[in-house]
Amino acid sequence: MTVALKIDGLFKRFGEQQVLNGFSLQVARGEVVGLLGPNGCGKSTVLNIICQLLKADAGQVQLMGQSISEQSAHARARIGYCAQESALYPDLFPQENIQFFARLYGVTAAQRNARVAELMERFGLVPYAATRAGLLSGGWQQRLSLAVALVHRPKLLVLDEPTGAVDVEARMDLWRLIEGLRDSGTTILLTSHHLAEAQRLCNRVALMRSGKVVAKGSVPELISRVPGQAVVKVQSEDNQAVIQRASELGWAVRQHGGKLSLLLPQNLNLREVVDALDGTKVSAVSIDPVTLEDAYLELVGDGLLI
Amino acid sequence: MSPHGLLLDQTLAVSQRLLLEQWRQRRGLIFWAVFPAAMMLLFGLVYAHNANMRAGLDAAAAGILMGAALFFSCLGGTVSIIAAERERKTLRRLLASPLHPAAYFLGVVLAQMVLAAVQVLMLYSIAWFIGARYHGSLMLGGLILLLSVFAYVGMGFFLGARFARRSEEVVVALSAIGVPLLVLGGTFFPLEIMPAAMQTVAQLNPMLHMNQAFKGVAAYNLGIAELRFELIFLFVFCAVSLALGLRSYRHLLVADQKV
Repeated sequence: MTVALKIDGLFKRFGEQQVLNGFSLQVARGEVVGLLGPNGCGKSTVLNIICQLLKADAGQVQLMGQSISEQSAHARARIGYCAQESALYPDLFPQENIQFFARLYGVTAAQRNARVAELMERFGLVPYAATRAGLLSGGWQQRLSLAVALVHRPKLLVLDEPTGAVDVEARMDLWRLIEGLRDSGTTILLTSHHLAEAQRLCNRVALMRSGKVVAKGSVPELISRVPGQAVVKVQSEDNQAVIQRASELGWAVRQHGGKLSLLLPQNLNLREVVDALDGTKVSAVSIDPVTLEDAYLELVGDGLLI
Repeated sequence: MSPHGLLLDQTLAVSQRLLLEQWRQRRGLIFWAVFPAAMMLLFGLVYAHNANMRAGLDAAAAGILMGAALFFSCLGGTVSIIAAERERKTLRRLLASPLHPAAYFLGVVLAQMVLAAVQVLMLYSIAWFIGARYHGSLMLGGLILLLSVFAYVGMGFFLGARFARRSEEVVVALSAIGVPLLVLGGTFFPLEIMPAAMQTVAQLNPMLHMNQAFKGVAAYNLGIAELRFELIFLFVFCAVSLALGLRSYRHLLVADQKV
């Protein structure tokens, strides 16, 4: 495995708040890694340090084996950055936005026009070539931002909640584009609030809490850390009765935001679950496979583990 | 691409982008044309009405160029550019790119120089029409204009980085800090009628030296020897401006940090 990005023991404090607390992570070349965690856990701070928008108090970031602090402009030239807000020049046309950033990143004049045309085509922007960026919808602006971030063929693409500000349809479009990038071998580090996004796009996920990684691995690996084969979601007038019955059955119980989940140690069908919970005043039951959301709640969430 | 080639291309990219944006937002351009043109016409009417004041028309044309036209376009324009970069979030995008701070600063200077050249042509065409004349060396006048644009952009970077986080604050920054500098720069009153303390403070104001140097050349045909103090001050201030601009660019990074 060739390491593209190596982050080692990052610490960052803002005033009294310790935002990063020994954050470490490695991203292999061609890998898509998702950073997930609650608001304020330090995800964006990590990305800002990688993109050199912030300086860490301690720790090191290496890109392709070289420390980014020692080669700041050179390192910035090897990173593509796309944030939640589409940072575009609204009075310029899409191809002009891409051209402008191509020049900032030192794409030579000989390569520039071909690269701009290639990205316009790849991101479906050709029909909007005569539309100023400021008049594009949020989804198309984000497509353009992604194209801008790729103009210099970066070694690492950093996406900070890339679909956070777009509608569902645009999100699906962006997912398809990011999947295309993943399949073509682009190394990507992304943050997201959408667990389904991480589950669909990422080879590996790092779960953060209080400024450090609390769990990492592929989605199946993280799911396997949930002590259950399936999740039963229960509504009952008497939660205590359900908890007691589950304990007697040897099922783990989780309570997140007042909602009760039971982790089944073996696969059971709905009839068997309903029978097992008979007499506990259950009004609704559903059985779902364990998802990344369950793993997230198990490993990061502050719910009650019984 | 060599580092110098990259710096040059980045500078040209920034200035072309700014000029393109200006061209597409024509309302701003019209304001920058109409305001100094209207000032020139009004001053022309006043001077034409008072025959004994006609001699002052040449100096007034130079003062309007420095105090009304370039002040708003080069200083105000730079503050607006920085506020707009912040509001559109493009500032973070630029800071994450390998754009050299000097290329950004020089790109803004270059774009403002093009706009200034258009303003000079327009203003002096009107001035000529109403009877004002340019008397001095074109080369020396051009040099003073270049230094003045450079200095205005440096001050614009400083004000924009520290006092204008949103476009609404551009007017506040210009009114609260820019206009007093304009007054102390001898744009509205001659320095001689100011109290002694004000005159001393005014000597530190680059706008005073811009005004005096350009009026000296344009209205009184003064040469390098007579204007050496103003020129040295402007050269030094341009170096300070560049340092101020680069420092302000880095300050933007600190000011825009978020968790």
